[in-house]
Amino acid sequence: MDDPTTRSSNTESPAPDHALEGLDDTPHTGESVEADGTLVEPQAGDFEHHQQDAPQPDWFKSAVFYEVLVRAFADSNGDGTGDLKGLTSRLDYLQWLGVDCLWLPPFYASPLRDGGYDISDFRAVLPEFGTVDDFVELLDEAHARGIRVITDLVLNHTSDAHPWFQASRNDPDGPYGDFYVWSDDDSKYPDARIIFVDTETSNWTYDPVRGQFFWHRFFNHQPDLNFENPAVREAMIDVLRFWLDLGIDGFRLDAVPYLFEEEGTNGENLPRTHEYLKEVRATVDREYPGRILLAEANQWPSDVVEYFGDPAVGGDECHMAFHFPLMPRIFMAVRRESRFPISEILQQTPEIPDGTQWGIFLRNHDELTLEMVSDEERDYMYAEYAKDPRMKANIGIRRRLAPLLENDRNQLELFTALLLSLPGSPVLYYGDEIGMGDNIWLGDRDAVRTPMQWSPDRNAGFSRADPGRVYLPPIMDPTYGYEAINVESQQGSPTSLLSWTRRMLAVRKQHEAFALGEFVDLGGSNPSVLSYKRVWTRPNGDEDVVLCVNNLSRFPQPVELELADHEGATPVELTGRVRFPRIGELPYLLTLPGHGFYWFQLSELGDQGERRSMS
Amino acid sequence: MSEPLTTSADDVLTVVAEALPAWLPSQRWFGGKHREITGVRPVAATTLLDGDPLLVHLVVDVEQGDHSSVYQLLVGSRRDQLPDVAASASIGALGEHTLYEASGDADLTATLLDLVVDGADLGDLSFRTEPGAEVEKGLRAHPITSEQSNTSLVYGQQYILKLFRKLVTGDNPDLRLHRALREVGCTHIAEPLGSVTGTLDGEPATIALLQRFLPDAADGWVMATTSVRDFMADPGSDPGELGGDFGGEAERLGAAIATVHADLDRALGTESVGQDDLDATVSAMAERLARVAAEVPELADHVPALEQIFQQVADLPTPLDVQNVHGDLHLGQVLRTLSGWIVLDFEGEPAASITERQELRSTLRDVAGVLRSFDYAAQQMLVGEEPDESMAERAMVWAEHNRSAFCDGYAAVAGSDPRDQEVLLRALELDKAVYEVGYEHANRPDWLGVPLASIARLVSQEDS
Ligand SMILES: Nc1ncnc2c1ncn2[C@@H]1O[C@H](COP(=O)(O)OP(=O)(O)OP(=O)(O)O)[C@@H](O)[C@H]1O
Repeated sequence: MDDPTTRSSNTESPAPDHALEGLDDTPHTGESVEADGTLVEPQAGDFEHHQQDAPQPDWFKSAVFYEVLVRAFADSNGDGTGDLKGLTSRLDYLQWLGVDCLWLPPFYASPLRDGGYDISDFRAVLPEFGTVDDFVELLDEAHARGIRVITDLVLNHTSDAHPWFQASRNDPDGPYGDFYVWSDDDSKYPDARIIFVDTETSNWTYDPVRGQFFWHRFFNHQPDLNFENPAVREAMIDVLRFWLDLGIDGFRLDAVPYLFEEEGTNGENLPRTHEYLKEVRATVDREYPGRILLAEANQWPSDVVEYFGDPAVGGDECHMAFHFPLMPRIFMAVRRESRFPISEILQQTPEIPDGTQWGIFLRNHDELTLEMVSDEERDYMYAEYAKDPRMKANIGIRRRLAPLLENDRNQLELFTALLLSLPGSPVLYYGDEIGMGDNIWLGDRDAVRTPMQWSPDRNAGFSRADPGRVYLPPIMDPTYGYEAINVESQQGSPTSLLSWTRRMLAVRKQHEAFALGEFVDLGGSNPSVLSYKRVWTRPNGDEDVVLCVNNLSRFPQPVELELADHEGATPVELTGRVRFPRIGELPYLLTLPGHGFYWFQLSELGDQGERRSMS
Repeated sequence: MSEPLTTSADDVLTVVAEALPAWLPSQRWFGGKHREITGVRPVAATTLLDGDPLLVHLVVDVEQGDHSSVYQLLVGSRRDQLPDVAASASIGALGEHTLYEASGDADLTATLLDLVVDGADLGDLSFRTEPGAEVEKGLRAHPITSEQSNTSLVYGQQYILKLFRKLVTGDNPDLRLHRALREVGCTHIAEPLGSVTGTLDGEPATIALLQRFLPDAADGWVMATTSVRDFMADPGSDPGELGGDFGGEAERLGAAIATVHADLDRALGTESVGQDDLDATVSAMAERLARVAAEVPELADHVPALEQIFQQVADLPTPLDVQNVHGDLHLGQVLRTLSGWIVLDFEGEPAASITERQELRSTLRDVAGVLRSFDYAAQQMLVGEEPDESMAERAMVWAEHNRSAFCDGYAAVAGSDPRDQEVLLRALELDKAVYEVGYEHANRPDWLGVPLASIARLVSQEDS
């Protein structure tokens, strides 16, 4: 480990920006220092601005999100690493697919000791990804295609390479002296658990430079910012303003539960943390209406709802939050052939304020997170999905969707149909739309971060670099390798997973009920069939009702649905617009093939529906 | 002859009583299909809804030789515009009026719920809600489609009204135990909301029970057989490692049953019984064994061993605790809902005869019932198939896995493991299996192998 602190001796402190790498010729934090010790930081005005369109406040409620790793998507300059320009060049594909919003994990300057979540300058782009100007170009081109962009922002901590931290440790009395949580001993806040139990033994680490301990809820190279300090609170809001001024559509706020610490508490979800989030939200609403905040709080939905804020005003903290426990429950339900794991978690999910929405996902860049399941369920998930110990990380499973489902097309479709129809805005993970595989032999979390597979060409069409220079080898096994699985061949085939996914996104878009409708679980006597309706009342009073019926079993199943409320309506299947028999007073009988599903519109329109389907 | 403008309840009763001997055997809830009906005696008729259509409640005494049982019927009468009910519902005609079994006629059955909410008294019948229960009027109903010995109507996915087909005087255990459990706040029942009571031979008789309907429910038998299906499709797997494992559910079910037992104890108390009761229990078991063995030769080989196992019960230390129990517990009597397992139908054994009423009211009786049910669930796929040794063995593995998970769950709540009371538990289980042998022999010969296989296994465990 190259810890800069051991190198710097005390005669003359190094410049605060000394630990930043590759930013010498780029505007960055601490490029100069004012007489009082204040660091000069880049301002949005230094860059060409992107102009935002008129705000559409509720766009996120019906958006399909797509998580894309800049490093993994497309390499424009042939250095073997994906970059912002590369991503920009692939926006046509994402528009074609039907994606509404990109979610980019951090692309800031960083020593990359925690996948970029260890940010060393909030106002500079990691040089290998490009520049702030490249990012503005990405925003321009994305917005021109109706695609929005949000990114991660870590409020809780910085990298120890951040000039703020360097200034703080070297000059305790200077303007940054109180930016972090310093203490003479390591005895405070003993009730806060250690999150990264595999690598950390304490939340305090001694800094020989300052001669004090600093507080960190995550890695010991990620000191926590001191939110007690008003200057920190303001500085972080200024960071948000910097990107919002450039035109970004929102942020996923990382590790929000941990902003404040307090003696005698576990240091999570403290009232002051919520107060601060309300302040951030008020700033966004006032200065940047239509931009969103998404909370990353890996907790039970009943606790997460706190991060939406006050329901009386439609929510006054984050617009969105991830629903973590739903995902493992979807996996469990299909393995158990039982609707109960899904129905239960949705029943336990509280109502959320009007102006908010859940984000739901099947996979993301992290492992299949198992923090939100019981011990019994976790053992079970390991037994089912992580037969090889290499597939397990901390408390998760690092696999992509297709290999998790043994590449079974029926299950891939069923899972995707669930993702697109359960309550919340779906978040797709790059590559899952073509059924990409993973490489469990790669260390850490890299198994699911291999290059996007564009074509059967060299490096999967991802980069023109020498294969040895590509940041990670593309998947090459016979089943999931890029020669078999790639965008080019699937775009050309109407029956491919990619074409199917695209059609489903389009169908979802046609029915706002999927995004905005109330979720009504239909229960029923067959435990292997999960049926629900989504009921949306349009502003003009018309009802848009979609009915989703999912066979969680590998065997064909009959189901009797209680649809008496819709007596007289005709179910119209949404992908082929085939009309099914009318609903009568008695239970409605359907049969489903193994892992099959149906999406119906319950049309009250009678013959009008017929005419429409014939035209 | 001139047509009466309306029909009266008594006219309907007369016509129906005449038609019943031919009609009754076609009804699936009719319990006496095996004996010839020698006479039907009208007992009472009450008009629930007057005019055309007309809805009458009838009570008839069905005589089958020296045996007689009292049944209730809901009969509709309409001149035209017959509702869309099954052909088998049609009973006869009274002039231009068609008389039909009316539980499928949603226009008429809506009346029943309204009467309960109104607290009506009509003829002998009194309709009541339970104290403090809030029930909404004006919902339409349809009968549930599952195989049933009673008739249940579901009102707007909110309530279920069970009409007891066969009427008996005195305390109805289903109503009594539901009330007691509601009283102590038991969370594992479908809340009782109301009832209908009538009179029979001058004594009160429960006609119907209204309960909260649980639309999210799936019954335990379906849940368990889903798991079996999955297990059987993957030869070579271990049931605990299987995707469709039922072990977790079985354990939670065990915990729920133990909780219900504790609640019944809290509500109605525990008694203790002495040697006389044990002796009576043993002789009831032995009598049943003798009766069934006389009819089913396949049982003969096991008789000595069974007798010996039953006899051991007499040597148990006394006094022995007994309390109110479910009495006919099996996987078809439990529902999995989003909030956990629910126990239904506290009527006790449907065909309880005098001897059976002397049976020991031990909580182990319910445990034994569920254990038997796991055996049935495991083996149900083998019924009617070519015998297959390895499949039979797999069925056994599944059953054992879930039986033991169930006992674990029960023990965790009860504080004592039912398996520790080995002698009584085994005897109760075997007694139940002997009853099943008799039942299957008479009704479903294909299934005879299921209880016989269990008896063979339990008896051989005893030997070793
Ligand atoms: N409260 C309820 N909520 C949902 N479903 C119910 C409810 N009560 C009963 N059912 C359904 O109706 C079926 C029959 O109910 P129940 O066992 O009470 O009737 P029964 O006529 O006594 O049955 P059996 O003939 O098996 O003794 C149950 O298996 C269950 O599927």
